[in-house]
Amino acid sequence: MSAKSESHAGDRTADLGLDGSIGPDTFRLLALGCVLVMTASYVSVLREVTRVVGGTQSLFALVGAVIVVATVLAWTIRPRTAVVAALVAGAVGFGYYLEITGVGVDVVFSASDAILSDTVTLVAGLPLLRMVEAGVWTLAFVPAPVFLSWYLAVRSRYALAVIPGGFALIFLVLTGDAGTTVTLLGTLAAVGAVGFGELERRGGSVAQADLLAVSFALIIVLSLSVTVVPDGSGSSDHLSGGDPNTLEGAIDYSSERSGIGGSVDLSPEVRFTVESERGAYWRTGVYDRFAGDEWVRTGDASAYDGPLEEPPGEHERVRQVVTAETNLGVLPAAGQPLAIEGDLAQHTEVSAHGQFHPTTSVIEGDSYAVESAIIDPDAAELRAAGTNYPQPILEGDYLQTPESTSSEFEERTAEITADADTPYDKAVAIEAHLRSTKDYSLEVDRPNGNVAEEFLLEMDEGYCVYFATAMTQMLRAEDVPARYVTGYTAGQEVDDDEYVVRGTDAHAWVEVYFPDHGWVAFEPTPPGPRDEAHADSVEQARSDGADNVDTDSSQDVPVSDDDDESADNPDENGADDDGSDLNETDPGSDDGPDGNETDPGSDDDQSGSDDGSDGAGASVEASDRDDGLVSSLISALSVSRETAAIGLVALVGVVAGVHRTGATDRVRRTVGCYWQRRTDDPDRDTERAYRRLERVLAREYRPRERSESARSYLEALSADPDRDVGPQVATVVDRYERALYGGGVSRNEADETIELVDEFTRARLPIVGRR
Amino acid sequence: MTDVNPPTQTASPDRAALDVSTVADLCAEIEANVADVIVGHEEAIEHVVTAMLGRGHVLLDDVPGVGKTMLARSIATSVDCTFRRVQFTPDLLPADVTGVNVFNQQSREFEFQRGPVFGNIVLGDEINRAPPKTQSALLEAMEEEQVTVDGTTRDLPDPFTVIATQNAIEPNRTYDLPFAELDRFMKKLQLGYPEPEEEAEMLGRTVGHHPIEDLESVTDLETIVAARETVAQIRVEAPVREYATRLAGYTREHARIGVSPRGTIALLRAAQARAATDARDYVIPDDVQAEAPVVLPHRIRTTDHDRDGEAVVSNALERVSVE
Repeated sequence: MSAKSESHAGDRTADLGLDGSIGPDTFRLLALGCVLVMTASYVSVLREVTRVVGGTQSLFALVGAVIVVATVLAWTIRPRTAVVAALVAGAVGFGYYLEITGVGVDVVFSASDAILSDTVTLVAGLPLLRMVEAGVWTLAFVPAPVFLSWYLAVRSRYALAVIPGGFALIFLVLTGDAGTTVTLLGTLAAVGAVGFGELERRGGSVAQADLLAVSFALIIVLSLSVTVVPDGSGSSDHLSGGDPNTLEGAIDYSSERSGIGGSVDLSPEVRFTVESERGAYWRTGVYDRFAGDEWVRTGDASAYDGPLEEPPGEHERVRQVVTAETNLGVLPAAGQPLAIEGDLAQHTEVSAHGQFHPTTSVIEGDSYAVESAIIDPDAAELRAAGTNYPQPILEGDYLQTPESTSSEFEERTAEITADADTPYDKAVAIEAHLRSTKDYSLEVDRPNGNVAEEFLLEMDEGYCVYFATAMTQMLRAEDVPARYVTGYTAGQEVDDDEYVVRGTDAHAWVEVYFPDHGWVAFEPTPPGPRDEAHADSVEQARSDGADNVDTDSSQDVPVSDDDDESADNPDENGADDDGSDLNETDPGSDDGPDGNETDPGSDDDQSGSDDGSDGAGASVEASDRDDGLVSSLISALSVSRETAAIGLVALVGVVAGVHRTGATDRVRRTVGCYWQRRTDDPDRDTERAYRRLERVLAREYRPRERSESARSYLEALSADPDRDVGPQVATVVDRYERALYGGGVSRNEADETIELVDEFTRARLPIVGRR
Repeated sequence: MTDVNPPTQTASPDRAALDVSTVADLCAEIEANVADVIVGHEEAIEHVVTAMLGRGHVLLDDVPGVGKTMLARSIATSVDCTFRRVQFTPDLLPADVTGVNVFNQQSREFEFQRGPVFGNIVLGDEINRAPPKTQSALLEAMEEEQVTVDGTTRDLPDPFTVIATQNAIEPNRTYDLPFAELDRFMKKLQLGYPEPEEEAEMLGRTVGHHPIEDLESVTDLETIVAARETVAQIRVEAPVREYATRLAGYTREHARIGVSPRGTIALLRAAQARAATDARDYVIPDDVQAEAPVVLPHRIRTTDHDRDGEAVVSNALERVSVE
């Protein structure tokens, strides 16, 4: 193939002649290029997966090898053989995937129903990242379409070549992995491959490429104006407050993913109330796979049927009754939930990580009872837990870091945990480091690339999502199994055993696995500033008279009551200091506003926020307003840029369409009626002058018949006395005849003729003409 | 095709040609002269004049008594030249047309007695009454501009124009001209009956003293020869030639036998002459269009009706693109 294109290179340059025509060889190159772009579009989607789970090199190597093989085989085997080969390759890849995941190939025969339903699930929008062995899956998936489409393209069967590639792309669109841009690019490339292929086959010219341009523009404009691609980030009906600009909207924007946004707002609305003998972090989501810019939950959920397995270690069972104060898409519950009671139980499913999720929306006023296991180990026990992790923990994604994670990140982590020998010490060191070196702020610019890395190495401030993400990734870098969890802090304790939880309490933290104990929560976010900002938001909303900020019982209770806090904190810290809790490890936990904290599993009250909230809150508000203005400006600009891009594409399409319909020719002809460029040849000038005259006469009276000579046309027109065909027209016709049939005209005569025609036609200009 | 060339480049080294406007005047003069005798039929007069200048021969095909012979005589008279007339009859022999070698008793030698074909303008009256052998004697002379008698070839005078008439009635007493020979006439004209007022005027002129007897020549032989040279040099540019070719092509596609290349040549020669009568030194498509209805139809055979050729030609003129 490459030899062929080489040998045609010379011809191709020759094909680009003076008339601008492009030969079939160029069209072939363009068509092959389009097939490559189409291939690249879906490979890039798969690469997004391997970038997270690893295996990018293998993926690229595989794609390259397949293309080479396809190129060679294109000259040696017949299409039917090639299709069989591709199918076999696909089947072998799939079988390999099944073996790797431990399912075994025999499942194909024993559980074809399950496989079918899995495929349906995948096609119905299950992102590839949620698959357990996503990396292997991509390697199994990629060879067949790449091979077939390139094989057929090399054989100049472009329309057929588009089918396997298009199938792969559509599959990835249905799984929700292919974004709009990639899909658009792939689709355009597919259209281009077919179009250029046709041009090559039919020996078309560039003039016919305008049809292609129209198709391109149509596709682009339609796809950008109609959102048909099921883009994961597009569907966020998950929470009633699911606005992605709010913190909870960002962390819980869909049931399988947790995004990491930029600046976020806090909603002061009450979400739910909890009756519980002790306060806790109310967990709503557990995520294991980190994609650099978002968290993904792998594995499938199963329907809830009876209590879950208890954690291996010592634990306390706590019963909570949660009442939704607004529509919820989550089932908040403390610690490791074990059992759920109430009507919602049958609408509950359990994730692979033991988190309850509702299958329907939880309606305002619904309530359910949850029993949770709260593990409460002390530091000594955790230090002693060792690293003898069970197999499922090691095989899961709890140690996953994105492939692109830099060594710098790992080195810095190693530095921070240099003095720590046990996983527990490492966790504590990381927690302490983040709390002490990073400031809390809801106003951050979302970094590009790996958020954990950026936060640790570059950023100075962030909010819980950043802290938790960084800590999880740092622990993993140190080979400590960790996961990222989302939910709400304990909220406002309005009465004994009753907590009011608002949107401001949305939170993200970390769970670390300890053998014989289970998942233990850690809190890397400095709690003081966080609670200040959050409480201030509620106060602000209260003073603005906003709805839904309070329940009946909460409105008379201050959100961040210093007395309350100081009453709680010592108590808490006291408990901590016995060594029964994680907080022992926090330096200066007794006094500092940022020092104490939060073991969701063991603390009664989490809302620990202490001092000077007013000043800090005010400054947050101020910056909020500034940022709002700036961001609205930015968003206005970006919208206009997008609109401009669409407009440009649409314009190209319109221009090509106009060219297609020949309107430009018409315009040129119309303009040509009134103006004429002079040439060196007087005869030619005279002839063109006559043509102009004829066009104007045709518009005014009737066109000349094909079989009618210029003279008889003129005579026929002059026969009607109403028609103002003056003697100058006769002169023009005479000159024209002389130029065309006689001995030619002189320069002066030609100029005179042009002037006569100018005068004649300009007097008949539609608007400014005299008649 | 550039303006460097003078518009009337008619000078020829061996023969003196006239200026094209002189030719136009000459034509007008002859036509006016003939119109003194013939009432109406201006188009036919012009056609005969242009045929003469275009080195062609004319066949007048009509019922008797519409003035065919009178037209031919008037034109011949208008030019100061030899006018001969042959009345074709069923018993006319070829020698009666071409001439014969006669033994002169005094000189005791055979002398060639020139037949009526040796004239500048020859009127072959009722040519379809003679048997084909006699017809062909005249037609051969038309084509070759020479006659061969007893092995001796003799040139006919220059100019040599035949105006033949035939009548369309009494088909059982006539010998139709062979199709191949019809082709040798540049034009076939019909005069038709005069309009009522024209006829009334004609009667006024001819009753009593016939005006032909007072008709005088307006030009001489040399002028005609020079005018023919001028006409031969009229410019026929490629677009016109292509137009003529397209017309011929159309007839070939839409008839059993279409216009022959000889017909196309005749068409362009006629067009040249017509351009000259308009004082133009180049042919425009209008000239071709004006000549085609008389030059082409008799060269076309559709199925069996002779007149169908006219329909084919008028269709061709309507359909074939000029440019």
